[in-house]
Amino acid sequence: MENLITGNEAAAWGARLSRVECIPNFPITPQTEIIETLAQWIADGDMDADFWTLESEHSVLSAAIGSEATGARTFTATSSQGLVLMHEVMYIASGMRLPFVMATVSRGLSAPITLWSDHNDFLANLNTGWLMFHAQNNQEILDSIIMAYRIAEDNKVLLPAMVNMDGYVLSYTKEPVEFPAQAKVDKFLGKYRPKHAFFDAKNPLVQGPAVLLPHDYTYFRYQHDTAARNALSVTRKACEAFRKQFGREYGLLESYKCDDAKTILVTQGSISTTAKAAVNAMRKKGKKVGLLRLRLIRPWPAKDVARELANAEHVAVLDKNVAPGQGGIMSPHVKAALFEYGAKPIVTSFIMGLGGNPESVGMFEEAVRLAEKDKRGGVLWLE
Amino acid sequence: MSELQTIADIPKENLLSGGTAACPGCGSITGLKMALLIMGKDTVVVNSSGCMTLLCNYPRTPLRVPWIHNAIENAPSTASGIIRAAKRLGKKLNVLCYCGDGATYDIGLQALSAAIARNEDFVYICYNNGSFGNTGDQWSTATPLFANTTTTPVGRKSRGNTLSRKDMAKIIGAHGCYSATASLAYPLDYLRKVKKAKEIKGPAYIELLAHCPTDWHFDSGQGMKISRLAVQTGVWPLYEVVDGVLYLQSDKTRPVEDFLKTQGRFKHLTKRETAAIQAEVDKEWDMYKTGEYWKTDEY
Ligand SMILES: Cc1ncc(C[n+]2csc(CCOP(=O)(O)OP(=O)(O)O)c2C)c(N)n1
Ligand code: SF4
Repeated sequence: MENLITGNEAAAWGARLSRVECIPNFPITPQTEIIETLAQWIADGDMDADFWTLESEHSVLSAAIGSEATGARTFTATSSQGLVLMHEVMYIASGMRLPFVMATVSRGLSAPITLWSDHNDFLANLNTGWLMFHAQNNQEILDSIIMAYRIAEDNKVLLPAMVNMDGYVLSYTKEPVEFPAQAKVDKFLGKYRPKHAFFDAKNPLVQGPAVLLPHDYTYFRYQHDTAARNALSVTRKACEAFRKQFGREYGLLESYKCDDAKTILVTQGSISTTAKAAVNAMRKKGKKVGLLRLRLIRPWPAKDVARELANAEHVAVLDKNVAPGQGGIMSPHVKAALFEYGAKPIVTSFIMGLGGNPESVGMFEEAVRLAEKDKRGGVLWLE
Repeated sequence: MSELQTIADIPKENLLSGGTAACPGCGSITGLKMALLIMGKDTVVVNSSGCMTLLCNYPRTPLRVPWIHNAIENAPSTASGIIRAAKRLGKKLNVLCYCGDGATYDIGLQALSAAIARNEDFVYICYNNGSFGNTGDQWSTATPLFANTTTTPVGRKSRGNTLSRKDMAKIIGAHGCYSATASLAYPLDYLRKVKKAKEIKGPAYIELLAHCPTDWHFDSGQGMKISRLAVQTGVWPLYEVVDGVLYLQSDKTRPVEDFLKTQGRFKHLTKRETAAIQAEVDKEWDMYKTGEYWKTDEY
């Protein structure tokens, strides 16, 4: 059955169907509707979970660490300033290897302050050791939250996961979404019985010790890196299991008409749907253009990315973010992946869509035109 | 549990072994060890970054209870997650936040105030050693007037810390929850307060003066004596705030000089500065005597 719901509602449904037990929270536009929806369900008795509002996002994530470490399946959501306020605790959550899920609703960062979406908030977390998924539409938000619990809670992974959506364009926009049956989700996720929950008086353990010997500290980091890398194959398997169970297909990436493409657009998030329309329009005019949508951002599926792009002549990476003095945040990732793979298409970095600047089919056509003229791989701003 | 009339009534099960990284004569670790006698085995300790964080130095722990160290400013928030999840999962756990004065007075006050306002069921003990101890004795808002610290150093143009200590136990008491001060030199009083705090359904705050030989600069064998002098001179009054009413439990019987002269952090004090500290303490005590402490214009 399809339901017309917003991206925020889809995230709330993802949490509800995953039977989350603890929801520490703090409001911020455009995430608020997620926590309001959950609050109302709990108030109406439609959902059974602990829901409490803290005095800051820093405390929200700290509380999530407490509840997850005690053994309760935990969920939260934030955006923008809230997400960067959490930054210190992001590393602690992943370093403690606590597998909970946070929905993030992308919004540009201050100053100057904005309400509209870009990906600088989400991508500030690339090195925090979290799993990072970026959804393209409301269905994918709901599905990704369920999948994220399965991947995060896998014993080979045990890491927290972010599922990102673009503010407004998805968060406050209704789309038809199919709800997976609760019984099927229960089967897909299983009951949460973590082996690592350590607050047990009979078996007292320490979480967050001082590790002052550099060799030991390095080993903790090595294990963390290994766990994140393990998430590549665990995600692949989870996608396959999800397809079998629910009939919808997801991968680490989405490759759209890349096979014979001479020029490939690389995107993430909701702009990908407009970009696909642009690919279709250009294909109609006989241009061999394709699109690669990044879905799993961390761990970074470098080989998969390179394999899809290897035979193109030009690659246009469309970054809805900016690292001032450097360019787009994702384009160096794409370049590095190609370099390791030994493939040499010319990669042009485009900065676009900042502070909610809307994209259009024409903009992607322009990106292809400029990329095909580029001989050295530059950084260009698209308006 | 018995009523803690004498030392013989103190539970004997020791949950914190020796051989830790704390300095010899450290009051903070003694305070933790004593609190755990009352809190018991079913206790999770939530620690904020500070001197006590180094107790659990991988791969060893001196504790026989679970312990979590999250960050410096978020022990009460971490505790709230533990409390709610434990209740939901049917785990019987007492939650003890054991945090320094820097974590409590300064960087973590927001999280603590909010957790108390949410009526979280925990015991929060602030071990007050009067500075950021772990980072090497830097000024916090718990540092006493004129104390020499590494960021309020005494020098040719400086007399040390020029600001008076923030009065945290009263600030917490003003939230409406149980709030008490305690001293290691009065162990039964301290433990009775821990017991009371444990039995309260909701937040309870105890501020323990934790003598610190390293930063206060005194011989490590003198800690208990100094802690007792702090109470006797009125520098560290013992009281409980219950339902917004402050009950004073100690008396001021000696001049502040008797306390100040025991520590290197005050050795630069002139007579006038000592008198200024005496005047500050006397003013506070006048307010206890007249029952005026909760007059808002005093804040
Ligand atoms: C966000 C942050 N800022 C600074 C520090 C450095 N730091 C570690 S321990 C500490 C002192 C804490 O002082 P207090 O709470 O009084 O505890 P004590 O060290 O005296 O035991 C500081 C400032 C930190 N860990 N985190
Ligand atoms: S510096 Fe002070 S509080 Fe810290 S361990 Fe040493 S004596 Fe204890």
